[in-house]
Amino acid sequence: MSVLEAIPAKSVEPESIRGASISRRIWRLAMSSNEFRFGLAICLILLIAAIFYPEWSGIDPTKMNVKDRLIPPLFLQQGWTWAHPLGTDQIGRDMLVRSLVGLRYSFLIGVSTVALMLCVGCSLGMIAGYFGGKIDTVIMRITDAQLSIPMIILAIAVLGVSRPTIPAIILVLGLSSWPTYARVTRSVVMTERKREYVRAAQVMGASNFRIMVRLLAPLILPPIIFVSVLDVARMMIFESILGFIGLGVQPPTPTFGNIIADGRKYLLNAWWIATMPGVFLCVTLTSINLMGAVLERARNRIHGGAS
Amino acid sequence: MTQTSPVLSVRDLSIDLRTGSGKRRVLSDISFDLAPREIVGLIGASGSGKTILSKALVNWIEPPLEIAAGRVEYKSNNILTVASGPMRKLRREIAYVGGDPMGALDPTLPVGYQIVEKLQAVAPEIGTAEARKRVVDLLDAVRIPSAKNRFHEYPSQFSGGMMQRALIVDALVSNPAFLVADNITQPLDVTVAAQVLRLLRELTERFDTAVFFVSSSLPVVSDVASRILVLEEGRIVEQQETTALVQHPKHPYTSELMAQIPKLWAEGAANVPASTGKEVVISVRDVSRSYSVRKRGTFASHNTVRAVRNVTFDVFAGENFGVVGESGCGKSSMMRLLSRLELPDSGQVLCNGDDISRLSGKDLLKFRRNFQLVLQDPFSSLPPRTAIGAILEEPLRTHGVPDRKELRQRALTVMDEVGLPSSLYEELPIGLSAGQRQRINVARAMVLQPKVLIMDETLSSLDQTEQFKLLKLFEKLQAQYGLTYVFISHDLAMVRRVCNRVAVMYLGEIVEIAHNQRLFFDPGHPYTRTLMSAVPTLEERRYHQADYLLEGEPPSPIDLPVGCSFAGRCPNVMDRCLTQSPVLTDRGSKDMAACFLLDEPINRDMRVVA
Repeated sequence: MSVLEAIPAKSVEPESIRGASISRRIWRLAMSSNEFRFGLAICLILLIAAIFYPEWSGIDPTKMNVKDRLIPPLFLQQGWTWAHPLGTDQIGRDMLVRSLVGLRYSFLIGVSTVALMLCVGCSLGMIAGYFGGKIDTVIMRITDAQLSIPMIILAIAVLGVSRPTIPAIILVLGLSSWPTYARVTRSVVMTERKREYVRAAQVMGASNFRIMVRLLAPLILPPIIFVSVLDVARMMIFESILGFIGLGVQPPTPTFGNIIADGRKYLLNAWWIATMPGVFLCVTLTSINLMGAVLERARNRIHGGAS
Repeated sequence: MTQTSPVLSVRDLSIDLRTGSGKRRVLSDISFDLAPREIVGLIGASGSGKTILSKALVNWIEPPLEIAAGRVEYKSNNILTVASGPMRKLRREIAYVGGDPMGALDPTLPVGYQIVEKLQAVAPEIGTAEARKRVVDLLDAVRIPSAKNRFHEYPSQFSGGMMQRALIVDALVSNPAFLVADNITQPLDVTVAAQVLRLLRELTERFDTAVFFVSSSLPVVSDVASRILVLEEGRIVEQQETTALVQHPKHPYTSELMAQIPKLWAEGAANVPASTGKEVVISVRDVSRSYSVRKRGTFASHNTVRAVRNVTFDVFAGENFGVVGESGCGKSSMMRLLSRLELPDSGQVLCNGDDISRLSGKDLLKFRRNFQLVLQDPFSSLPPRTAIGAILEEPLRTHGVPDRKELRQRALTVMDEVGLPSSLYEELPIGLSAGQRQRINVARAMVLQPKVLIMDETLSSLDQTEQFKLLKLFEKLQAQYGLTYVFISHDLAMVRRVCNRVAVMYLGEIVEIAHNQRLFFDPGHPYTRTLMSAVPTLEERRYHQADYLLEGEPPSPIDLPVGCSFAGRCPNVMDRCLTQSPVLTDRGSKDMAACFLLDEPINRDMRVVA
């Protein structure tokens, strides 16, 4: 009580309030760690390279040059050249440009697929868990039905009938993997919605929609999103699988999937063709995971009471 | 005290808490003796080190706590230095009962088996059949009805009071020389707590056990203990015989503790005027609500629990209305109906003349704005990962205040009003004390500037000191904003202090509604008298436990008995009570009670329940 009396009613000084909000403090704590900076740096370099390098270098990723075929990456074997830092493939296309363009497409597919999965899965799970009863039963049975269809067969069926364009691939991959998210979200929401603070929000007059979006979503989504980062990689690989059976992004557009698929025939004499996209994939995901892990830790520390 | 040598003697006990940056002393220089058959009480505010001391007595100090100095002597052994092997043997003579009965038993094993297991762990020479017999006998001794059947039941089938008794059996089963009872009455209703205390007194006689009784409530301790230690900030500041302590406290801290104890019948116990409001704010008309619960062990059949039965009352503007009763009497269901979290099965709740179950859209939002609820549990009622400022702004956003500056200003104003420093604006509620959290709860309700605040056991999780401060705050807010409060509580002393009118609920029915003064000095229903006989107080009781506190717990709301629902525990039960159910009868000036004792001469108009 003495603290209260020390602060008169009207002169609430802004200085007495901690300047930073919770989310800012989480970012600040994360930024102070070397792992996060490292991950961020790599991620930024890759991003800038993927956006600008192909245009800036003026190299056409689809242009063949049979004279320069199968040039190895820098310093690694006889015959390397500065013109092609990561070498060239079997028909003389520059691997660096191809990989970076591939990164664009793969990343686009991976991220938007996961985003779609999260949207569909979390919102259905949230609705099912929050309302319960018949709505829950219906949604969860749909989920079960979806789970029972193998993803590859669904993808083959859909993409085989329609043309395998990028939006179609995103849609198919995204719609085939949401049930796990729906289940996880549902179970968390089912426990959370019984809590007193949800009841308090109802008494405040908050509508169900508001409670779900403003109260429950910020609470349960961060851990789920953290896990979903791992799914970005999985989806990139699934895209590769689709590409491998000819239902992915169509050549000559490079993606990690079809570069690897092409390169596998030359693994013995030109290992770098199949390896480079893998290296890029690995580095990208490592940097994202590094940032994700640090952010998660910072979040837990701030929410656990650290200042 | 007796001339016999003490069972337990504590000498200069000091305990440190190891923190990241060194050590902090939490208990210092504790010395006292415990004689055979004696009950020694220990009181202190929360955080004074009561639980640490009681754990030290049973050699249960774990890191980051460590013993800095001193001895706890039992049979001339310092039990603090006994190794874990020999200590296990000693455990049969030293027993401990904690305050959380639900957490102390394994929910997947029948209660009896757990006690037998414990007995055999400390006394392996006892055979299983013998051990079972002993446990059943003891369950009988603590008056658990049909102990033989209860032996095989699971903890979830026990009520809180029975569970606490089972834990006392668990502690007594090995015939301990002394028992440490740490806050055992905290989670129980007053009537059940009074029964447990009575039991404890009898047991010291019957089993020759000395008891070290820890509690934060002086009246409870003074009820059972013959000598009381007062603990303040890890030091014993006073040590006296109970009667002497109550009459002439020596240390200022003891006097301070005693001043905070609410009084029931003394002069100035109630600082509320008779209610003057004429305008009816809430009117509850013959409201009933039942829930259907799946029958245990079946798949399809359901039982109907009648949580609220034909409740009718009015709340007037500007008054404090109290609803009291034991747990399970329907208070919380009543709260959910009042706050329109649920709709009644039959009957109406009128707010300013409108039936609240018909409200929707804008009208509902307006009703919500005027009607706010402060919840019971200070921990789960706040979203764990939202900053306090955002928690307080959320209701405003819901009600369409979009301007960020205004939101912030209003949140800060209300924080200031309830006594939260504005530096907490960007902080998470984690790490705040229960009292502070309850202030946030009040602030969240206040930020909409409501007309009615419903307090659902808001103060019951706080200690006396915090309760005192919050009640002051409520008074201040009421004077400032002309609020109407509805207090839902099991704490009669609190109700006596603040409420103008009080409704007593029993098994979903209102058995009595009366003005404060009338209720406490001239109660019309035997159940009200039972409740009052069980309240822990230092005062001379108007209603004695011997006359009014009968054994037993309320019947299950699933199979309601025919006739008056209180008949099974009523000291004045008549033949008529077993077949007919009394209705609320007017006793003049809006006071009503439902008992046949009242309407003998005048009113014969009653319902016959088949």
